[in-house]
Amino acid sequence: MVIKQRKFTIFIFIALTISVIIIADVSYLSSQEEARLAAWNTVDIPSIPSETGVFRRSADVLDYTAMPEDVENQRSLEVYYKNRAFPGAPPMIPHPLASEKGIGGNTCLQCHENGGFVPKFNAYAPITPHPEMLNCKQCHVSSKTASRFKPSAWEKHRHPDIHNTALAGSPPTIPHTLQMRENCLACHAGPAAPKEIRVSHPSRINCRQCHVPAADKIQWDSMQWDRGSVLKNLNN
Amino acid sequence: MVTNRRKFLKQLAAASAMSAAASMFPGIVFAEEQLEGLPKGLINWKKAPCRFCGVGCGLLIGLSDGKAVAVKGDPKSTVNKGLCCVKGYHSVMAMYGKDRLTRPLIRENGKLVETSMEKALDLVAGKMQEVINTHGKDAVSMYGSGQWTIPDGYVASKFMKGAIGTNNLEANARLCMASAVTGFISSFGLDEPMGCYEDIDHADVFVLWGNNMAEMHPVLFSRLLDQRLKRPDVKIIDLATRTTRTSVAADRSILFKPQGDLAIANAICYELVENNWIDKGFIEKHCSFKEGKTNIGYGLEDKFKFSDKAGTITFEDFKTFLQDYRPDKVEAVSGVSARDIKYLASLFGDPNKKVTSFWCMGANQHTRGTWINNLIYNIHLMVGKISTPGNSPFSLTGQPSACGTVREVGTLTHKLPHGVVANEKDRKMAAEIWKVPVERIPYKPSYHTVEMFRALDRGDIRFMWIQVTNPMVTMPKLNRYRDAVQKDDRFIVVSDIYPTPTTDIADVILPSAMWVEREGMFGNSERRTQHFEQMLDAPGEAMSDTWQIIEVARRMGFNELFPWSKEDHIEEIWKEYARFHEGKKHGMAPYEALKQAPGLQWPFVEGKETKWRFHAKYDPACEGNSFDFYGKPDRKAWIWARPYEAPPEIPDTEFPFWLNTGRVLEHWHTGSMTRRISVLHQAMPRSYVEINPEDAKSMGIKNGDQVRLVSRRGKIELPASVHERGQPTKGQVFVPFFDESLLINDLTLDAFCPISKQPDYKKCAVKLEKVNVIN
Repeated sequence: MVIKQRKFTIFIFIALTISVIIIADVSYLSSQEEARLAAWNTVDIPSIPSETGVFRRSADVLDYTAMPEDVENQRSLEVYYKNRAFPGAPPMIPHPLASEKGIGGNTCLQCHENGGFVPKFNAYAPITPHPEMLNCKQCHVSSKTASRFKPSAWEKHRHPDIHNTALAGSPPTIPHTLQMRENCLACHAGPAAPKEIRVSHPSRINCRQCHVPAADKIQWDSMQWDRGSVLKNLNN
Repeated sequence: MVTNRRKFLKQLAAASAMSAAASMFPGIVFAEEQLEGLPKGLINWKKAPCRFCGVGCGLLIGLSDGKAVAVKGDPKSTVNKGLCCVKGYHSVMAMYGKDRLTRPLIRENGKLVETSMEKALDLVAGKMQEVINTHGKDAVSMYGSGQWTIPDGYVASKFMKGAIGTNNLEANARLCMASAVTGFISSFGLDEPMGCYEDIDHADVFVLWGNNMAEMHPVLFSRLLDQRLKRPDVKIIDLATRTTRTSVAADRSILFKPQGDLAIANAICYELVENNWIDKGFIEKHCSFKEGKTNIGYGLEDKFKFSDKAGTITFEDFKTFLQDYRPDKVEAVSGVSARDIKYLASLFGDPNKKVTSFWCMGANQHTRGTWINNLIYNIHLMVGKISTPGNSPFSLTGQPSACGTVREVGTLTHKLPHGVVANEKDRKMAAEIWKVPVERIPYKPSYHTVEMFRALDRGDIRFMWIQVTNPMVTMPKLNRYRDAVQKDDRFIVVSDIYPTPTTDIADVILPSAMWVEREGMFGNSERRTQHFEQMLDAPGEAMSDTWQIIEVARRMGFNELFPWSKEDHIEEIWKEYARFHEGKKHGMAPYEALKQAPGLQWPFVEGKETKWRFHAKYDPACEGNSFDFYGKPDRKAWIWARPYEAPPEIPDTEFPFWLNTGRVLEHWHTGSMTRRISVLHQAMPRSYVEINPEDAKSMGIKNGDQVRLVSRRGKIELPASVHERGQPTKGQVFVPFFDESLLINDLTLDAFCPISKQPDYKKCAVKLEKVNVIN
């Protein structure tokens, strides 16, 4: 009787141990699954992303909800990234310039502030998220040759994954930095938006009510500049 | 042995326990692994000032798997507030050219052969010693750069002036900022701007003096445009000899004849006096009037000598001097209508308007560069619009550390980290901090840059070590100096990151670590010192310029002057260097603070930056409660009577066009870095000559036609650019200098400002011919 009881105790103990291990493993594997789906780990500066421009839409912008979808002339994400030296880099100008001298309002913004179809290029003009910056060609340059001066070992970094929902069916998180791109609709709505990232519901303009930046893995490192604390340390 | 075995057993036990645990719990993560186990693709951002121009934008460099992969503007930097230009955004790509120099090269029988860093440094030190032994210490020289980090420049100065004992130390900032320095020194007694970039947020009027800011200082220009958008009364006036993007964006574009700026500035002063728009109280209390020598020459001949002499004059004398500059009298020489000059004067004279002037190479690369700098200060001083928010005569810098390294550390022949070699007190201070006998530091300046290359040609100099600069593209009248460096018995060492026309003529090439491949600091236009840490490994045997100099100095027996270790040398150098600037007038921020902040401005006094100098409200070094120009012994700012004088070479019937040279937005100087960035090269693949459409039409030249430019010194064939980015005035052509295969400096003239010794790259005479292509 005593032996039986002891055997039973040992059996219970072993069973418990095994179940603990199994539960731990299963939960680990399921966490791995989630990680595979998780967004490209964008590290932003450790502060709340700027709110400027969240609700901004140009006064003259097209009414996207009333527009039929133009499948033939839509842009793909591949084209979008091809035009950038790295994800987040200012895009190059893929067309000839009307004027080399012109500045913002006189030239580029005539098409890129509000968008619209350009028959000459058979494409919709992408809308800039920052039309208040007028010296466009300070960052955006056109390509006059396909040649290289010297070969380069530069490798383009992987761009963010678009499948970045936390749960099946939940709103995707924002996998890129928002600096100078706070106006979501500029790239995510309308006929010029790359088809893979175009939203189905552009009329709901409070985007960040549901979509939040995926800045969970923050590297603090050298970004901890806080004037007050530095000066306090110095004075001590 | 016992402890080792014990340690080994311990590690073994730990490892087996860990592997057992890992087999049971596959998800378990140990502390050590956690650091390494970051998922691929995670980007870690670190701060650094931009590698390119003197604006000094704060960047965040995106790092992943030991490589730089992205750049964004640092929103915490007060300079650029998160915005960059196309060069900054793509800057990290410049580190990854496949032809990076990774091993030292030595010329043997005319051919470059690879060697080890040890051998190359031995050779450099040996050769330097050999030249000193046979020709004296003034036969060796060093030519550095405004792209040197502050520690690079500091060890170079200590090595040349404190260890070897020669003043043969110059830097390419002589070609870009020397006139700004002499302008500051002669007007205020102290170098570098009194104001800061925050002036942009306060000014109502911006006057740009020969400065294509939209391309050359784009991030600052965007701040101007931003202010105009927010405050519609803001006006931007572009004064230039060429219509550019800046002119198009400005509210008013006023074109003038080359050298006409001297007359315009004096005419504005005439109008201010004539209309009684001057600030009499300010002038009486805070200004004194001076005159200098006139007909001062152009330095075209070897061993040219000049030193200015200040004579005191009265305000009445100054008014008499201005009589020659009545606006209608200067129309002919300036090419600007009296109406436009009166308009400019009315902007400066309006008591309700804050005025900020910006200038850069147009004023500095000028045979009367010091004078035009003085004259712009005159205008601001006459109306008391200086040293207060929004009222700022602001001299912009070209290079990332022309201020921080060349001007503050003083890597010029006449300079020391504090003061000048001619001053015994300054020499004593340097000798004490460096722990060298004061007699070792020569009191006489030797050669400024142009004269240094002439001395190399003559054979007075036999050895030159060139770092972070490309003089075989940038020297004016390049033909002569290219021949000079290739003469027998001249030994040239070049430290660089890529092959350039300068490494082509080198006897030894040392591979350098670039920018964030080492630790360092830059100092920008607004007295802001910015630190960057080492973020990446330098390729191959590449070594920082600082460490190259230390290695050579040690080989020459100066170990005790360079006692630092590889780990802490930058910190130790900073601490030693900061001793030179202690005090309220130039105190530098401590190393620990620089490491954390996205840049701090000097004078850094009691934990605070000084934004505006020479006014008691903002500058703790001031006495009293208002303006105090403490740089001069009389505590006054000096207003100089500087006349108009013609340039040395004026277009004539044989050479009927002015040649103007300069930069473009996409390329940094000689393009050795930016041309290896695909985006930038593809946007601006080759050089060209801008021609005024009327001239082009009369000569039958169309856009893209091949044309020939000929000056008295050289010739070049390149495509014409008509109606494109820039449009020179009639009778003028413009050529950018970034293209190493189209060396425009073969045509330029090596005339310089006799006071600053800075050459004028903006004015010489050329003829233009259409090249008839035979098909």
